[in-house]
Amino acid sequence: MTDDKDVLRDVWFGRIPTCFTLYQDEITEREAEPYYLLLPRISYLTLVTDKVKKHFQKVMRQEEVSEIWFEYEGTPLKWHYPIGLLFDLHASNTALPWSITVHFKNFPEKDLLHCHSKDVIEAHFMACIKEADALKHKSQVINEMQKKDHKQLWMGLQNDKFEQFWAINRKLMEYPPEDSGFRYIPFRIYQATTERPFIQKLFRPIASGGQLHTLGDLLKDVCPSAISPEDGEQKTQVMIHGIEPMLETPIQWLSEHMSYPDNFLHISIIPRPTD
Amino acid sequence: ISCTMAGEEDFFLEEKRFKQYCEEFIKHSQQIGDGWEWRTSKDLGDGYLSKTHFQVRNRNIPPDLKEKNDNIEQMLFTRVEESLDDSQVAGVCATEEVIRYEYHVLYSSSYQVPVLYFRACFLDGRPLTLDEIWKSVHACYQARLLEGPWDTITQQEHPLLGQPFFVLHPCRTNEFMSSILTGSWKQNRHTNYIILWLSIVGPVVGLNLPLSYAKLGPEQNTNNDSV
Repeated sequence: MTDDKDVLRDVWFGRIPTCFTLYQDEITEREAEPYYLLLPRISYLTLVTDKVKKHFQKVMRQEEVSEIWFEYEGTPLKWHYPIGLLFDLHASNTALPWSITVHFKNFPEKDLLHCHSKDVIEAHFMACIKEADALKHKSQVINEMQKKDHKQLWMGLQNDKFEQFWAINRKLMEYPPEDSGFRYIPFRIYQATTERPFIQKLFRPIASGGQLHTLGDLLKDVCPSAISPEDGEQKTQVMIHGIEPMLETPIQWLSEHMSYPDNFLHISIIPRPTD
Repeated sequence: ISCTMAGEEDFFLEEKRFKQYCEEFIKHSQQIGDGWEWRTSKDLGDGYLSKTHFQVRNRNIPPDLKEKNDNIEQMLFTRVEESLDDSQVAGVCATEEVIRYEYHVLYSSSYQVPVLYFRACFLDGRPLTLDEIWKSVHACYQARLLEGPWDTITQQEHPLLGQPFFVLHPCRTNEFMSSILTGSWKQNRHTNYIILWLSIVGPVVGLNLPLSYAKLGPEQNTNNDSV
């Protein structure tokens, strides 16, 4: 039987084999070979693709290179979403490796946030953590921490240091002994088919009678179309970190063990493959 | 980072109240032709306030103005808020640039406060960069911004439209709203949270509220008299 702590490690060390190809219209001095990389599910594209950038810049002229951006089958990939979320949402039922196209021109201003430095990623990451703690603890835990603790969360993510990260993050996963869980669960539900990028609402992990709310309870409350069976058959999959957790799973447990490093549960609702 | 909590639930704005204050706000905006409208998202019925206006920016600084006035604001912007139509806008002289600002007021359920989202672009569609936005912030707020730019205005995804907008960070809103609200309630004045909040954060990013908003009271709301 898997220990709960093993789940934390499995989530942290999840990887997606990816093939990066330069967009055909980019101007190169010689042919650009594709670049293969194992991407960490819990990180962000612009944080882990320095080698990809260097590889393609070697065959391009300086003046042809401006801000890098990534695209999958015509869809610009939002670097500020965790990699695992992007994959689950757009490509989870397709063959590996994940094929991503690399661009250096025509940055899609209407679709993507700019990412001119690592500072931007850090600011975004920390803003998510703060928002998650506002929901879980009215910001009390994050505000009690020192700046160096905040820095340790970021450095742990940036350098792929599980122990360093969790030394601080475990405090964000605690709750007062008199409570049975967090105040509200930090979560976002994504569906590629909607204009709205995600659904986020206030949701308590414990019912008024003291019972633990489940993943199914959350979906019923916030996104009922995701689980209402049509013709008795489930047309969609509810995916977190590449797996479909049982709908009976307590949401408090999911929040503690399957959140991303930003402390949010990022849940994808995708079409179920027909075969 | 310090984000002192008021502790009292009173100072947190509930979503229902947010919508009520916005309704009041829109009514007055319509009375004075201030251009605000309420928009709802198609699926879940979440709503937000929205306003678009144009600003004219002088690119060349007249030499006498430079000497007379070290007011940074005049060097950066001449705030001409008009509802220019496209033909008028095209006639603006070449040393001036017209910038289209779009402001949205959304509700954050995580922080239980309103949040100001905005974006700006030149007439040819080119969006302003974060740097250009920072430079255009009113002179008296520049010092605070320079301390910690990442805490104040950053680019974020609009939670309903999914497009990049600039955002004034909400985590400090309760700090300044608490002290103002306490004072106001002690005097038994009807206070529209949105008007109060927007009159404080709006000017930081070029959004000004006409003074008539301050005169809003419960009796004006029910009688529907024009101010």
